[in-house]
Amino acid sequence: MQLKFRHFCIILSLIFTFSLIVAIASLFIVPSPSEIIDSMRSAEMIYSLKLTLITSSISTVIVIFTAIPMSYALSRYSFWGKSIVKSIIDLPMAFPELVLGLALLLLFGKTAIGSALSYVGINIVFTKLGIVVAQVFTALPFATRIAYTTFESINPRYELVSRTLGYGEFETFKNVTLPLAKDGILASTIITFARCVGAFGAVLILAGGSYMNTEVLPVTLYLNISYGNIGMAITSGIVLIIVSFIAIYAFEKLEGAKNVSKNRKPEHRFRRVQT
Amino acid sequence: MFLKIENLSIDLGEFKLEDASLSVEQGEYAVLIGPTGSGKSILLETIAGFYRPEHGSIKLKDKELTVLPPEKRNVSVVYQDYMLFPHMNVYDNIAYGIRKKRRSETDIEQSIEKVSNVLKIKHLLHRHPDTLSGGEQQRVAIARALVVEPELLLMDEPFSALDIKTREELRTLVKDAMNEYRTTVIHVTHDFEDVFALATQVAVLHEGKIIQVGTPEEVFSRPVSEFVADFVGTNALRCTIEKKEDSGCMLNCNGVKLWCADSGTEGDSVTVAIRPESIIISREMVHTSARNVLQGTVQSVVTRGHLTWVTVKVQNITLRVVITPNSAELLNIHEGVEVYLIFKASGVRMVR
Repeated sequence: MQLKFRHFCIILSLIFTFSLIVAIASLFIVPSPSEIIDSMRSAEMIYSLKLTLITSSISTVIVIFTAIPMSYALSRYSFWGKSIVKSIIDLPMAFPELVLGLALLLLFGKTAIGSALSYVGINIVFTKLGIVVAQVFTALPFATRIAYTTFESINPRYELVSRTLGYGEFETFKNVTLPLAKDGILASTIITFARCVGAFGAVLILAGGSYMNTEVLPVTLYLNISYGNIGMAITSGIVLIIVSFIAIYAFEKLEGAKNVSKNRKPEHRFRRVQT
Repeated sequence: MFLKIENLSIDLGEFKLEDASLSVEQGEYAVLIGPTGSGKSILLETIAGFYRPEHGSIKLKDKELTVLPPEKRNVSVVYQDYMLFPHMNVYDNIAYGIRKKRRSETDIEQSIEKVSNVLKIKHLLHRHPDTLSGGEQQRVAIARALVVEPELLLMDEPFSALDIKTREELRTLVKDAMNEYRTTVIHVTHDFEDVFALATQVAVLHEGKIIQVGTPEEVFSRPVSEFVADFVGTNALRCTIEKKEDSGCMLNCNGVKLWCADSGTEGDSVTVAIRPESIIISREMVHTSARNVLQGTVQSVVTRGHLTWVTVKVQNITLRVVITPNSAELLNIHEGVEVYLIFKASGVRMVR
C-alpha cells in the first residue's frame, strides 16, 4: 500500500500521542504504591503541597483581577501604548521562564525599585512573596489572552444598548459584559491556577527554591531528582499532573459551553426571482 | 427644532460622515436610506453616543448632546440583530431600563404591561430570548427601547433579518406603537417598503453626506441628483431640450423623443427622472391622454417581494417599470416581448 500524505500525518499524530500517554502512565506504573503513600505523608510533601496551593490561590486572584481590566481595555478602548501592551502580553509565550525569573531577580534585587521595596519591608527575592510575584508574571499573559478573546467575542452593541437604557460604563460592565463573559473568565481562572501551580523556572530563580522554605511542588520534584530521591520526585509529578488534568478537563468543558458569539451584521439583499 | 444635527463629521476609516446635517421635528418618523457603507449606521451610533464626532453638534430640544455619555441622552436603540441580553428573560430585558429610572416594582409592572400589550408580547414575558423567533425577539427589543419613553428612538435596519410577512406585521405594530408612545424615530433601512409604510420624512445618505431630505413623495418623485434618482429606482436619463412649448418641452434622450411638462431652455442638457410606477405597460398600441408612448422590447423581468420590475429597451435607452406580479402574468410579460410604454408628460421631471 502506498503511503499517502494523509496517512503520514495521521500516523505521526498517533505515534506522538501514544508516546505521551506511555510517558505519563509510567509516572504511575514505575513506583510502588507504598512508596507514593509514604512520600505523600512526608513533612516535605505536605509543606510543599500546602505552600503551592496557598501561593497559587493568591496569585490566581491577583492575576484575574489584573487580567480582566487589562483585557477589557485592550478589547474595547484605543489608547496610547496599546500596541506595546499587546506585544508585551504576547512575549512570555515565547520568552524562556528562566530568563523571566532572572529579569525579575535583577529588578527586585539590583535596582532602586527593589531597594525601595525592601526599605519599606517588602522583600521579594528568595521569599514566599517572590513565589507569588514569579507566578503572577508567568500566568498573567495567558489569563489576559483568554479574557481578551472572550471580550472580543461579545458584541459591544450589548453594551451600547445598556448604556442607552441609562446605565453607566461600570454598571454596564457589571450587569451585561461580565455575565456574558462568565464562562471565558472561569476558563481563564482555571488555566491561571494551573499555570501558577506548575510555574517553575521563574519561581526557582526569584524565590530560590530552598528546602521547606520556598519549596513548591515543581521545586520539590527538582530538588528530589537532584538528591536521587525518585519516589518523592514522582509523587510531586503525579500531584502536578492531576492538577493540570483537572484544569484541562474543566477548561474544555467551559470552552465547549461558550455560546455568546459576535453577531455579524449580514448585508441585506432583496430576494430575486427570475421569471 | 426638536432634533438638530449640524455639520457632523467623523472618520472611522471604513465608514465616515462628512458635514452631515439633519433636522427632525417632534413626532416625525424619519427614515434614512443610502447604499451600503454610506454612513447610516455611524450616524445613528453617533446620535446614540457610541462615537464622539470630530466636529459638529447634536442638539435635542436645544440641549447639547454631543458631549454627553449615552446614558444621559434619553435615546434608545434597536438593532437588526435584536441584542437582547441572553442572560435575562424577556421580562427582565424589558424591565432593565426602567429599573434604573423607577423604584417601585408595581410601577415597573404597569409599564411592562402597557408596552407588551402594544407590541403583543404578553405571552412571551417569561421566555428566554434564545427560544423566540426573529420577529418575536425584535418586538421585545422594541418594547425594551420604548418602555423607558425615550425622546428619540433609533432603529438600525430593524426588519432586515426578518421574512417578508413578519416584516409587514412588524411595520403595522411599530406604527401603532409610535402612535401610542408619540416617539420621534430615526430608522435606517435598505428596504423602500419601510419608507412607504412608515416614513414622514426621508433622508438620503451617500458617502457620509446627507444629500436629500424631504417627504417620501418629494424624494421619490423629485430626486435632487442623478445619484438619488438612481438609488431610489427612478429612471434617470440625460437629454437635451429640443423644442420649447407653452406647456413644457420636447426632449431628445439619446434619440428617443419625450414630452416633459417642466420648462427649460432650448439646447440645454438636462437629467430627467421618470418614476417606474408612473409608466403603464401595454401589449397593444392604445390611444390615451398621455403624450409619451414608446415602443420597446422587454429585457428582463425580476420579482422582488410583491413588486415586479420590468426593464424595457427603447432604441438606445432602457427604462425600468414597476408593476404587480399579477399584471405581469396577465399581460404575459417576459423577456423578448414587444410592449408599449405609456406615461404622461408630467411624469417626466427635470432633475437639477
